[in-house]
Amino acid sequence: MDLPISAIIMLIFGSVVLYGGLAYFVYRAFKGKKFR
Amino acid sequence: MVKQEFWNSRFAFIMAAIGSAVGLGNVWRFPYVCYDNGGGAFLIPFFVAIFTAGIPLLILEFSVGHWARGTPPKAFKKVSAKWEWAGWLTVLIPFVVAIYYVVIMAWCFSYMIYSIDLRWGMNAESFFTSFLGDTGSPLIIGGISLPVLLGLIAVWFCIFFILYKGVERIGKVVALTVPIPTILLIILTIRGLTLPGAIEGISYYLTPDFSKLGDVNVWLAAYAQVFFSFSLAQGIMITYASFLKKKSDLTNNAFIVALADAGTSFLAGFAVFSVVGYLSLSQGIGIDALGDKIAGPNLTFITYPTAIALLPFAAAFFGSIFFIALLTFGIDSAFSMIEPISASANYKWKITKAKATAIMCTLGFLFSLIFVTGSGLYLLEVLDHFIANFGLVTIGLLECLIFGWMFKIKHLRNHANETSEILLGRWWDILIKIIIPIILVIVLVAAIINNVINNPYPDYPSWLIVVMGIAPLISIVGASFILMKIKGNKEGKQ
Repeated sequence: MDLPISAIIMLIFGSVVLYGGLAYFVYRAFKGKKFR
Repeated sequence: MVKQEFWNSRFAFIMAAIGSAVGLGNVWRFPYVCYDNGGGAFLIPFFVAIFTAGIPLLILEFSVGHWARGTPPKAFKKVSAKWEWAGWLTVLIPFVVAIYYVVIMAWCFSYMIYSIDLRWGMNAESFFTSFLGDTGSPLIIGGISLPVLLGLIAVWFCIFFILYKGVERIGKVVALTVPIPTILLIILTIRGLTLPGAIEGISYYLTPDFSKLGDVNVWLAAYAQVFFSFSLAQGIMITYASFLKKKSDLTNNAFIVALADAGTSFLAGFAVFSVVGYLSLSQGIGIDALGDKIAGPNLTFITYPTAIALLPFAAAFFGSIFFIALLTFGIDSAFSMIEPISASANYKWKITKAKATAIMCTLGFLFSLIFVTGSGLYLLEVLDHFIANFGLVTIGLLECLIFGWMFKIKHLRNHANETSEILLGRWWDILIKIIIPIILVIVLVAAIINNVINNPYPDYPSWLIVVMGIAPLISIVGASFILMKIKGNKEGKQ
């Protein structure tokens, strides 16, 4: 069985927003040299 | 004078806040709530709740704690002395949650030991019933389950041991207890995704059923889940933020904590639903037909262990890491629920942190005993239903109204902007003052109407609902006023 398109869209959407967002804000914290 | 405590580093604060937010709720509650509210469709209101209420409220709580330099009673009192009770209400709610949350952790503790030889075998359901000493009814108390009692003692002792030394020890503990379960969850997810039937389970988890978006209960569950999962409206984030040093980035921290928590929930859904898909295929029954075996504690203590027992190899290994992950996820959340009330007692009556923690852990243990009995599971579900659906939403509403309308929210925004890299605009004021309160009022009214029209526990007598659901909420409000009225000590020792 393959994942339906709507499920794949949710997978990409969820991953980009959550993990992409997390990576972005951690990156900003490091970049701002305030991660201490 | 009570000495002000500080986190060792920004990393320690972020780990502690993530540790508090990420807990059993992400693994034990999120997949259950997700299943109960239409599978993949639930992700949409969940994401909406995160960005419209979760993150803005997290920023509010960080700002309040950092601005007030104290626990919720002190923070609310700084707005006006008459609001101190709301601060006590905010710290009493997580204390009550901890009373039954720790019992679930005690179950995990015992199951972690049982997983060495997969003691539940192929009949996890009857094993769980026997393990709890389940009487089959909330009205028949039954005896105390010894394995649960031993687990309960162990968990409450751990909480005391971590908290009594103050935030420095918390910082050291969370440096281990946050990354370890995350790594274990990734291992479980990879194993789950390689099982036959996993894709069907994931499809069930992710495919959105848009018709569910019109159901108010789904939205109510999403907002309640966010409050429960983010440790919002429990005074925890206010207390933790009060230990931050003056120049701390509040806004960026809030985004990191929120996204880490939500990301863990999302990941946990894969770990759980891939295994549910495998179980469905192995037993030749549809996922829908699994019924209540996929809901609540049944998912964690019956369905998942059954699937683990069916694994072709290293079943004991994966069983062990599942329950170790649950325990380490849960311990940070559990002690974070006790810290606000201990720190508040320390602030108001100047009793030492160790003494305050000892008192709270002892009281918590004694109250927990009711859930160690044969009717504990049923009583726990009723109390959790009322606390999560009414208690947390009400406190979230109170926070918005008091800090948004009784206080100049602009001051808090400016306070956050002074030290934060990402600047808040007027949109945040509007969210806190108008949008979030409106959402919360709708959620609250809908919950009240829904509970009046559709009795969630039709088989239970009304007096039981009053005793285990409504009376605790009323008692907590009454206790908040009493704690406000009790005179505090001006001097004392740390």
